[in-house]
Order: sequence, then C-alpha cells, then structure tokens
Amino acid sequence: MLILAFDTATDVATTALLDDDEVLGERSSVARTLLEDVDALLRQASARPTDLDALVVGTGPGSFTSTRIGLAVARGLAVSLGIEGAGVSTLDALTAGAPGAIPVIDARRREVFVPGATALSPEDVEARGRLCVGDGAVRYRELLETNGAVIPPDDDPRHRPRAALHARLATDFGPVDAIEPIYARAPDAERWRP
Amino acid sequence: MSLILGIETSCDETAAALVTDDGVVRSSVVASQADLHSRYGGVVPEIASRRHLELVSPVIRAALEDAGAGLDDVGRIGVTQGPGLVGALLVGLSAAKAIAWARGLPLVPVDHLRAHVATLYLQPEPLDPPFTCLLASGGHTLVLAVRDRTGFEVLGSTLDDAAGEAFDKGARLLGLGYPGGAEIDRLAREGDPEGFAFPVARVPGLDLSFSGLKTALLYAVRELSEAERDARRADLAASYQRAIVRALVARLEAAAEATGDSVVAVVGGVAANSELRRALPGARFAPLELCTDNAAMIASAARFAPSLRSPGYLALDAYASSSL
Ligand SMILES: [Zn+2]
Repeated sequence: MLILAFDTATDVATTALLDDDEVLGERSSVARTLLEDVDALLRQASARPTDLDALVVGTGPGSFTSTRIGLAVARGLAVSLGIEGAGVSTLDALTAGAPGAIPVIDARRREVFVPGATALSPEDVEARGRLCVGDGAVRYRELLETNGAVIPPDDDPRHRPRAALHARLATDFGPVDAIEPIYARAPDAERWRP
Repeated sequence: MSLILGIETSCDETAAALVTDDGVVRSSVVASQADLHSRYGGVVPEIASRRHLELVSPVIRAALEDAGAGLDDVGRIGVTQGPGLVGALLVGLSAAKAIAWARGLPLVPVDHLRAHVATLYLQPEPLDPPFTCLLASGGHTLVLAVRDRTGFEVLGSTLDDAAGEAFDKGARLLGLGYPGGAEIDRLAREGDPEGFAFPVARVPGLDLSFSGLKTALLYAVRELSEAERDARRADLAASYQRAIVRALVARLEAAAEATGDSVVAVVGGVAANSELRRALPGARFAPLELCTDNAAMIASAARFAPSLRSPGYLALDAYASSSL
C-alpha cells in the first residue's frame, strides 16, 4: 500500500512516501512548497499520483495558515484521487520520535502548544526532570531548563516532526474531508480593514 | 468540450464553478459566510480561513455534481491567487494545486480583480472590449479602461474606503446588519433620497473618496434625537445611497468621456445595488448572481490568462494586494 504522509504545521514541512512500513523517501522544506516535495518523492519512486492508496496528514497544532495548507492539499488530493486518509497530531508525531518526552510546539506570542491544553506560557509547562522536544522547546530552552527540563541540542533531529512517523501512527483511515485541524487557540476577532 | 474548474476563496465566500471553454456557466456554487461574520460587522480573517477549509471540498464536489460532470471532464483549473486575505487564498490555492497535480492538469492563477471584469465575458451575452468599467465591491473601487480580455488599465480608484465598505460603515451607523449594501438598498426604497444633503468629496482626476461621506452621515445621525432617528432612518439610508451612487456614476461617465468608449459596464458586489442599476440604464451590468464573489468569474478569467504546467505551479504563493 503506497502511502503519502506530510505535516506542514510547523516551520518545517515534512513529507514521506511509504510502501506499507518501508520508507521509500523523505523530504523537508516549507508549507508553501509542499507539493514540490511530494512531486519529487513520487518521481524518485517512479510512482504516479494515481498510484497512491492513502494519505496521512499532520493536524497541528502549529501555525494556523501552514497547518491549513497541509489539510487543503490533503483535501485536494482526496477530491482528485478518491483516496482515504488519516490525521495525526503533530504533537503525537513528535512524541513518537522521542518516547517519553513532552512535545513542545512554538505557538508564537510567547506561548507554546503541549498535549492536552490550549496554548500556554512556556513557564507553565510542567517540565521538571522531563525531556522536552520540538521547536517550542528550542525557542524557550532557557525558560524550560530553568524549570528543570532536559532539552537536546538545537540540531537534534528529535526537535523536528517526521512524516514517516506520522504514517506509522496512522490507524483510522477514512474520508479526508472529516480530518480536522487542531487549532488549540481561538481566532482573533479583529475586523479586517483592507 | 472540456471544462474549466474555477475556485475562489479570497474573502468570505467559498466558491467553485464549472465553465466551458466558450464561457457557458455549467455550475456555480457559492457558500457565503456572511452570517458567520455579521456579528463582527465585517470579515474576520482567521474565521474566514477556518470556514474555507471546511467548505472547500464540499463546494468543489457540489459544483461538479451540479454540472453533471466529473474531474475527467475538466481540462484546466483556474484559482484566485490574489488579491485578498492570504490565509483564505491559500486554502483554495493549495487545494487547486493538489487537484491539478494529481490529475496532471494545467493550473491558471487568476487575479481576482481581472476576474470580476471577466464576469462580462460569460455567455449568454459576452461583452467585447473596448469598454469603460466600474469595479465596485467591499474591497475595491476602480474605474478601468478595458482594451482586451486579458486585463485592464486603471484610470481611477478610491483614495480611502471602497464603495462597498462605505455601504457597510453606513449600515452600521444606521444600526443595520451586515453586509450593509443589501440592507441600505432595501431600506432606501421607503425613504426620501433628497431628505438629507450628503456631499461627496471632489477629488482630482478620476479618483474617488468616501470617507467624508461616512463622517457626514455620522454627524447627521448624531444631530437627531433617538425618535427622529428611527422615524427618518429610511430617509438617511436613501440619501446616503444616493450620494454614493451619484459619485460612482459621475466618475464612470467622466471616465467614458476620457476613453471615448461608447460602452460602459459595472461589476462587483455594488453592481447589485438597485439604484445604481437604475441610474445607468445604458450600462452593461454583471448578472445579479455574479456580482458578489463567485468562481464562475474565476473560470472565465482563466480562459484569457496563461496556464502553467507542473512543476511550474507547485510552489505558487498567494498575494495580498494587487500589482495591477
Ligand atoms: Zn471581489
């Protein structure tokens, strides 16, 4: 079964192509060039879009706009190819790469996303004695370490989501339209003034 | 006959349409979010973007179904690239890119403003340039010289509020709902358009300005007691609408004189205004259902814009403001 997986919720857009459990290729760039990576992965594997059997998409939390780019691409692929998909939380995928760690995603505005909560201040992460990974852990390293967190060096791969791990976590495949993003923060209700 | 799939998500309408190569609208589905934004008195970008993601594939599927077509019948995809809310645009653009890539179809990035004008090139009565055109909506007010179907030259534009925005702001001052244009239009029918004298600022050239008008309405409303305000609300609406319409008509006529065009046209949400339609009996207006944002106009514009093949469009980004 040929599976395309991707996650664009954070600054690193990650993509992977798998044949069942075997990873055929992995790439990373940014959300807006996601389809270039997808195209390259399929070419490399000599596969065509119509060969895809299912897709797996990261649902955040992260940047609202870039999370939506991944989900909109997923919806477009499903409309075109009639394939099913599964959503995997970006936090779960980070944990899969660092078992036992607290995944910490940068939520901007001096806040972070961690499991089971809406965005909170990095000071409020209960990190004592815990391994913390993710771009939020890197950005707020000093604060978290002061609170007793253990954080790998900035260039440690465990800080970045990997779509191959999303694919391994995916279990419930169904209609892609039903996969919803995890926003974990209410929208600003400011008026838009052109 | 191959079809063009149009997709539009630049503001608060999620829309998809199928149009034939020669401009016949086979289907046009528009899911408006106006109710969602009405309590804020305007569009909230993040709320709009979230809704676009929920609606984008159901709307595309509905457009295909309404046309009795499948993606196999589609020869290219036109999608709004800008101007608009970038977060909202990226939902439609990302979905469109994915569909095109998966199907091996060309993608046509479309400018939203050109698309409003391209409404006029649809069947059953496609308009042939040259003509002078007023594009008036909630986000834009432009006076245009249209020489061919690929674009236009801007002769004048608003220096502050767009005409549709002036309607929205006026509606709010009068305690009416959103979108304001339709509300004012309805109430104005019961009022005296000469009840209040609202002057529109005279600006040089073919530009327009509506901010002074809004202030004049504010003062007029303030000077009235609550009882008077209720009694004269329809007069206020009618007079305010008359002032906006007069300003638009004057600019369009002056522009047509400058270009020498015998044909004038009006497109955009404000083109649905009944007084504006009455005030310009000889003008070509976009059909009522295609005045506000829709995807039939996007597909129409895609007929006259260059199409891109993969990988040329894979990294395409949205833009917020017009470069035209
Ligand atoms: Zn518009």
